[in-house]
Amino acid sequence: MRLDGLWIRYGRRAPWVLRSVSATLAPGEVAVVHGRNGAGKSTLLSAVAGIRACDKGTVADRPAIVGWVPERFPAAQPFTALAYLRHMAAIRRAPSTAIDEWVERLHLTPFLHTKLGELSKGSAQKVGLAQALLVRPGLLVLDEPWEGLDAQTRAAVSGIIAEVTDEGGIVLVSDHRGETVKLPHAVVWTVHDGSLLVGEGTPHKAVIEIAVDPMQADDVAKRLRADGHDVVAVRR
Amino acid sequence: MIRMRLAAYLHTQIAVVPLLAALAVLSVLYGGGQARAAEAYGMSAIVLFPVFAWQVKILLDVEPDVQRHIAITALGSRHRELVNGLLAGAATTCVTVLLGMVLPWAVGGVSADEGLALAEGLWVHLIAVPPAVALGAMASRAISRTAGAGAMVLATGAVLAIVLGLRGFPAPWLAPPLMSAARYVNTDGSLPQALGITAWALAWTAAVLFGYSRLRRARP
Repeated sequence: MRLDGLWIRYGRRAPWVLRSVSATLAPGEVAVVHGRNGAGKSTLLSAVAGIRACDKGTVADRPAIVGWVPERFPAAQPFTALAYLRHMAAIRRAPSTAIDEWVERLHLTPFLHTKLGELSKGSAQKVGLAQALLVRPGLLVLDEPWEGLDAQTRAAVSGIIAEVTDEGGIVLVSDHRGETVKLPHAVVWTVHDGSLLVGEGTPHKAVIEIAVDPMQADDVAKRLRADGHDVVAVRR
Repeated sequence: MIRMRLAAYLHTQIAVVPLLAALAVLSVLYGGGQARAAEAYGMSAIVLFPVFAWQVKILLDVEPDVQRHIAITALGSRHRELVNGLLAGAATTCVTVLLGMVLPWAVGGVSADEGLALAEGLWVHLIAVPPAVALGAMASRAISRTAGAGAMVLATGAVLAIVLGLRGFPAPWLAPPLMSAARYVNTDGSLPQALGITAWALAWTAAVLFGYSRLRRARP
């Protein structure tokens, strides 16, 4: 798949979000997209997935089957998890066994008859993941897929990515939490100032999750930063 | 996809509101005594046009924006998603068309008429549907962004469709041919005239939908 000089902006007089972005991804390759908030990561991902049209440039040789996992699953829909997955399976012309497979793998069984709007953020995110995998995608695009997922499912996502690439699929994933350290051999794409910097190799960082008293969280984060560490997030 | 969208539409209680509005306007229309069927159907199509467009807007707006993005990847193209949305929107108007056809007979609002009245009535209602789908699409959240702007597009479109269609307006083709169709069924026009009005409605719809698809390129 080739990105040939993509230019994107949100309005005729708006500033360019992406400028002349070019890159190539071979079958079986994983790219991790880094960049600060608002840098254009999600815009790039949606253009690659075929959701957003580019003002200039093209995405060539995009695989026919694309799986898209949004940052936040749209839970404001009047369906149960099962009804939603059935609708999506019908649209994707997925085999009848596909729903069962992903329900089991993502531990969604207890929530099948729960309305989407009543699911926890993590469970809704799992439904979002399942719909993208009902048919094995040739291109899997995940926008911050680890948000809201429990540790077990976060680990499973890495395994799913490996399965897709092992079968020759391409995976593009954005991540600001550093979870992609679990993706060896991933190519690192950094979106900065509208441009794309392509670098080889796994980011040389490990992520340690530390639980502290909420009252001390700011102090601990400050001390870690003072020691030269990159504090990715503080969640209370 | 169409089935999923219609299921979501039917689940929303707000979908009932345009139907109630249709009942209200038809009750007013037929409350004043009997009229010739063809004449009544012509007026019915005009007053139901904004209801059709409103139904299409509701259907398109029920789906969250991110679900629309998921649908694009599931269907494999933006074009296919767009067409599916419009077809689902057109499907929502079926019940209202049926209501517009049956209600006048049920309440005795029309007198027995010449044989062609039912066919002409169906035609004049159906000819309002494609332009209403186009107007509803332009008023949908994907294009208009806010509820206020969407309501403004819907109301302005509905009013202009009538005002620009008044007899003697120099550029009637700027509006869909609702008024012309109503005049046609009222005066027993010729078949070529009917074909011309049908072509006009389809051409108007195509032009507006072309604009819709261009705008949707930047607003998936």
